[in-house]
Amino acid sequence: MAKQPKSAMSRALVRRETISGYLFLLPSLIFFVGFVIIPMVICIVNSLTDANMNTQGLGNFVGLKNFIDLWKDDTFLEALKNTFVIVIVSVPTVCAFSLWVSSAIYKLNGKLLSAFRCIFYLPVVTGSVAVTVVWKWMYDNYTGVFNYVLKSTGLIEKNINWLGDSKYALWCIILILFTTSVGQPIVLYVSALGNVDQSLVEAAQVDGATNFQVFWKVKWPQMMPTTLYILVITTINSFQCFALIQLLTSGGSGTNTVMYYIYYTAFKLTEKAGHFGYANAMGVILAIFIGLLSALQFKLAKEK
Amino acid sequence: MKKMKRFLAIALTLAMVLSLAACGGSKKEETTTSGSEQTQETTEASGTSISLWTYPIGGWGDENAVKELTDAFEAETGIKVTVEYLAYADGDDKVNAAITAGKAPDLIMEGPERLVANWGAKGYMVDLADLLDDTDKAEISPAALSACVTGEGAVYEYPLVMTAHCMAINKNAFEEAGALQYVDLDSHTWTTEDFFNAVAALYAYYGDTVAAVFCAGQGGDQGTRALVNNLYGGTFTNEDHTAYTWDDAANIKALEQLQNTDGITFDASLQGGDEIVKFYQGILKMGFCWNIAQQLDPNAAGTGAEKTITGDDIVFMSFPSETGESKLCGGIWGFGIFDNGDSARIDAAKQFIKFMCDSEHTADAVRTAKYFAVRDTAEGADLSGIWADEPIMAEYNKLMPYLGDYYQVTTGWAQARTSWWNMLQDIGEGADVAETVSTYMAEANAAAAG
Repeated sequence: MAKQPKSAMSRALVRRETISGYLFLLPSLIFFVGFVIIPMVICIVNSLTDANMNTQGLGNFVGLKNFIDLWKDDTFLEALKNTFVIVIVSVPTVCAFSLWVSSAIYKLNGKLLSAFRCIFYLPVVTGSVAVTVVWKWMYDNYTGVFNYVLKSTGLIEKNINWLGDSKYALWCIILILFTTSVGQPIVLYVSALGNVDQSLVEAAQVDGATNFQVFWKVKWPQMMPTTLYILVITTINSFQCFALIQLLTSGGSGTNTVMYYIYYTAFKLTEKAGHFGYANAMGVILAIFIGLLSALQFKLAKEK
Repeated sequence: MKKMKRFLAIALTLAMVLSLAACGGSKKEETTTSGSEQTQETTEASGTSISLWTYPIGGWGDENAVKELTDAFEAETGIKVTVEYLAYADGDDKVNAAITAGKAPDLIMEGPERLVANWGAKGYMVDLADLLDDTDKAEISPAALSACVTGEGAVYEYPLVMTAHCMAINKNAFEEAGALQYVDLDSHTWTTEDFFNAVAALYAYYGDTVAAVFCAGQGGDQGTRALVNNLYGGTFTNEDHTAYTWDDAANIKALEQLQNTDGITFDASLQGGDEIVKFYQGILKMGFCWNIAQQLDPNAAGTGAEKTITGDDIVFMSFPSETGESKLCGGIWGFGIFDNGDSARIDAAKQFIKFMCDSEHTADAVRTAKYFAVRDTAEGADLSGIWADEPIMAEYNKLMPYLGDYYQVTTGWAQARTSWWNMLQDIGEGADVAETVSTYMAEANAAAAG
């Protein structure tokens, strides 16, 4: 007899908490649906049409024509190749470098550790335009510091046109992307390394494990969720490389990426028939690649 | 503790309610806004407020200078003009986005390649034919007027000013290198042979790049087009402006010559604006992206007319050609009206155009632009002498007879410009000139064919 009122009260409590939870969620949900879900749906629908800025509404339904045309478009295929080069080079190097730096600094005393975190995080919080302008000065063909140093030390005879030569331009972009991408992973890894269960580390050391074994068998598995998160965000950021391209090369010198080509097609090439639909089709393909790669990363991390 | 928790719960609930109210409030606010928009539209409908978007056309990019003109217009007509200043880097994006959203401005100031060949051809602009009577047609330069009229006779731009784009040389550098002998400083012309001799002399003296065929983007590409077309008399489009013709033998010869000349670099890290900076800094000894506005205020730096940052003299020059008589790319700027479906606002915008382009106030509008008027008289006011007290402008007038065909109105212009700088990048990296030219021109012609 005494149990029933208590259970009824619990249910009421659970219901109230659930309602409260959803109500707290509601404002964010409204923005998420309005600014993420609905635009995504519009993008998918537009990708199947010949929508452009000159016709009102959605345009005519063209089925998969935009997607078929994309695979015959040399510029898109080159942009896709460049995007994959950026992802393939940038993601592992960012992860490996941040892990290395974090391992080296996480045991330092508080102030020194904070100083290092600040140094590596600074490019992340600095505006991308400001960062890019400084890099542009350094890469300058005529007055840049790189050419000055290399020429002064006799390593090169003639100036290298870093951003104007397709042999170098993409790698210069990757280098900037690298410096702006390592900040967050370093902070996350420092935190993850600090949270590793020390009793397990000590137990392994007592059992005679080497430093490498301690890292690989004890610390690394505990950092796997952090690694997964870093892999996913770095992959997405690399796929979406746009501002650097727009500000430095306008997609020239072999640096065109899918994100830049989407922008160019949608807003610059307004004479092209159905340019909105075509750009949206590129967006859908990019999203599919990002989704597939992220899923693969999740699966591999889960197996590990 | 329990009280504290209750207080916290109430506070959080209030915050939530407030945030929800804020969301709901935005709708209410929207209603208010649309109410005010409605009010605004009502006042606009009476023709008392119009919007103007302007690209940085000389002083028309300067807020204070433009305000004087719009204030004078408001004082005379009672019509208020709200001005938005666009940059060339992203101005087109803003206008295109506004058109797509149905929020295009009433007036826009730019050239026929945008107003006529692009937005006009797509049906966004109002035909201004009724603003042009026979007197106007007789007064306005035929070259300028024809660029503003479509093949069907619709007038999508009322021209105000024009200029000829040219190139510039660093006179001090030329003197030091012994290259000044190749330049006619009086007529501001030179031949192709003189040009390459000057480059050779400069390269021999400085041992580095003296001029850059900039190709990082389309910015300032009128300079590289004029250079290539003039060297051996090539063309960019046909006379009808229906197809691109830059694969002619003269252009291929010019590009091969430029590709193989020491001291000239195809620089894919510079656009026109960047090249102006390098020339202004004295790094490059020639600049291919130049006009009278630059001559009056190099690099818009305010450090003195006709001077580099180091104080060297800048001399404007026509592009070199075999005879010395070039065909210069023209710049024609004026106003167009977006068809927003509101006749009152369209009428008000037409009043603005009449005020600026064909009245006693036209001289002020032209002076603000720092270019040359497209007509000698406007409603009886003499415009031929407005630059008489400005020796640099008077001297620059020597280039105006070389103004060539205004081919920028050719269909597929956006694609053609992109193809041009991409082509220059490939040639700069050593690609076969004839083959590369052919590939990229085909791309442009495909766009021209629709």
